[in-house]
Amino acid sequence: MKKTIAYLSLLFILGVLLYVANPNYGLKFGPGGDDWKNLRYTDNYYITHGVQEVGGTNIVTDIVFDYRGYDTIGEATVLFTAIAGAVALLRPWRGDEE
Amino acid sequence: MRPRCGTDMGLIVKTSARAIIPLIGIFGAYIVAHGHLTPGGGFQGGATIAGAGILFLVAFGLNEMRKHYNKHLYSALEGLGGLVFLGAAMLGIGTAFFYNTLWHNGPIFNGKPGTLLSAGFLPIMNLAVGLKVFTGLVSALVAIAMYRRWKS
Repeated sequence: MKKTIAYLSLLFILGVLLYVANPNYGLKFGPGGDDWKNLRYTDNYYITHGVQEVGGTNIVTDIVFDYRGYDTIGEATVLFTAIAGAVALLRPWRGDEE
Repeated sequence: MRPRCGTDMGLIVKTSARAIIPLIGIFGAYIVAHGHLTPGGGFQGGATIAGAGILFLVAFGLNEMRKHYNKHLYSALEGLGGLVFLGAAMLGIGTAFFYNTLWHNGPIFNGKPGTLLSAGFLPIMNLAVGLKVFTGLVSALVAIAMYRRWKS
């Protein structure tokens, strides 16, 4: 009985997701068509100018290392801080040895 | 029988790891080196190479890892990666921080887009970040394995 309800609810969730994700009559995320080129112009700018301005054919690397370089510095700092914190918390403390 | 602290795993796992670890390392190095051309980059490739190191730690045990892991070398390499990243960003300080001056008017790394020696400081930064992530993740996992609090 419980298993039947579980499978039925899973089926229901799958149906809802299929309905929502359908581009014809489901939810629309943002404006469709060519409106996004005006509203989200940075996307279009990166796609059209990225290779010429930064040189890498991988646009994500162009954005991460050039346009959003400060973000990457922060990420590297977060990684360093996380490892320093892990080592500082996990190392043997004074009076810890039995 | 429960596994004891610092011991290795069985023969099958060790033999498989011996075969797989170089392949993972080569794949990660490819991801790092082609970071400006194909999907991936410094972070992803560094994490992949660190996966090879973690596989070594899991398969061969902590005692074997202690022989191959040099704390001073790894911390020095991580600091070097961060400094090279910042230095590559500083190259174009005449215009702006993170200005890709090597690509626009530099002597090297100015090939056609899509070739390996192109894209200015992007390959340098990818190598630096890959080195930093690899050494950092391996150091973190070795620290977690070495300083564990529970008794086996």
